[in-house]
Amino acid sequence: MANAVKLFLLFIAATILHWGLMTVLGGAGVNLNMMLVFACAVCACLGPQYGYPTAFICGLFLDFFGIKLFGNHAFVFTLCACMMYGLDKRLDFDAPVPQMASILVLSLFSALFNAVLLHVFAGFSSWAGIGSWLGGAVCNALTAPFVFWTVRRTFKRER
Amino acid sequence: MKSRTQQPKKRVFNVNRQNRILPAVFIVLSLLLMILPLESPVASAKALLSYIFIPQIRASHAVMEYAEGVSDTVKALLHTQRENVLLQEEMGRLRLENAQAQEIFAENKRLTAALNLPAPSIWRGVWAKTAYRDPTQWNSVVIDKGSLDGIHERAAVIALKNTEPVLAGMVLETDEHTAKVLLLRDEDFAAAVYALPSHEEGLLSGAGAGQMRMQYLPYLSEIKAGEKVYTSSSSSIFPAGILVGEIAEVEDENGLQTSLTARVEPEADASVTRELFVLTPQKAEVK
Repeated sequence: MANAVKLFLLFIAATILHWGLMTVLGGAGVNLNMMLVFACAVCACLGPQYGYPTAFICGLFLDFFGIKLFGNHAFVFTLCACMMYGLDKRLDFDAPVPQMASILVLSLFSALFNAVLLHVFAGFSSWAGIGSWLGGAVCNALTAPFVFWTVRRTFKRER
Repeated sequence: MKSRTQQPKKRVFNVNRQNRILPAVFIVLSLLLMILPLESPVASAKALLSYIFIPQIRASHAVMEYAEGVSDTVKALLHTQRENVLLQEEMGRLRLENAQAQEIFAENKRLTAALNLPAPSIWRGVWAKTAYRDPTQWNSVVIDKGSLDGIHERAAVIALKNTEPVLAGMVLETDEHTAKVLLLRDEDFAAAVYALPSHEEGLLSGAGAGQMRMQYLPYLSEIKAGEKVYTSSSSSIFPAGILVGEIAEVEDENGLQTSLTARVEPEADASVTRELFVLTPQKAEVK
């Protein structure tokens, strides 16, 4: 129960951070995705009973702002959570380099896959350019150590 | 008793049956959400989620407003004296202009009554700030005002370019405190417009990132590049006379076409504009 409350408070903090950064950087075309970093950090620090629902809800939060399709972010985030649990056996997510590398790869994957889903299901091209794609992924990777550290500190790596 | 060396360095979560079912459930659920039409079932899910997400969005926006407010206040304090002098001069000039405008307004009212013309409506609305924009969703922005501020769906949204009002889009969805604005460039956007000085009317629609098209222009019309495009009085959503953009090119395609299509360069780039004016229902006419 305590974990659920902590997770809920962290989720609120993540949404505020995401909203704030998108307000500032969204206009500059940087596709920053703090919700993805947060969902991955939760997957790295907590068990699947917390990780999958968090990823799904983080995705739904982003879907809430879309007008063409609903559920695409939730789908992609759940897949990213699956990959995080798959990578957890091979990588040590306590170190910053695996954190950044995994977030970089997952950010590139999620943005690309999301664009494909929007194109297939809604016939809408959401491609904002390679600069936005790479820039967003790099920014996500740079924020990863801070977000992972915050989540780990909050839960003291309970898995 | 376990010795220190026997303890695993890192505990790896055992993947049991339940942990395979969990992602499968979420994947199926999200696939269903994507496949189902955006209307009834998904709209209900969104309405339910709004009770969870809207308070967070409001909190996020309040935090950002506060953070922006601090830096703006400091900046404003540094420029107060210089700004005050400029504003005093501006006020004097505006007082003079206002007096002239009142005179013209009274004359216009008198002539309108004499010619038995319908009274022109005054734009009423609310100023809203762009609160959220995702670069991948270039076709829409979220603004920080909603139905409680009088904003309703399909309301016209106007941006200011220098000091001139230009059409930015229309409201697509509203919540109590936020609204989603469909920008001009989206393919679902359409408005009746006319070009000046040729006075040719056509249907304006979005054509992807940064582009719009004015369709169904008479085949023999003399519309040219460089003409300004304004909203037409035949539009049911937008008030007449709002600047939309400029004709960039009249497409001259070979074939059995019966009408012309022109490419229009929009004046407003609402995806980067910070403040937007949303028109609210016209309650009062000019008296």
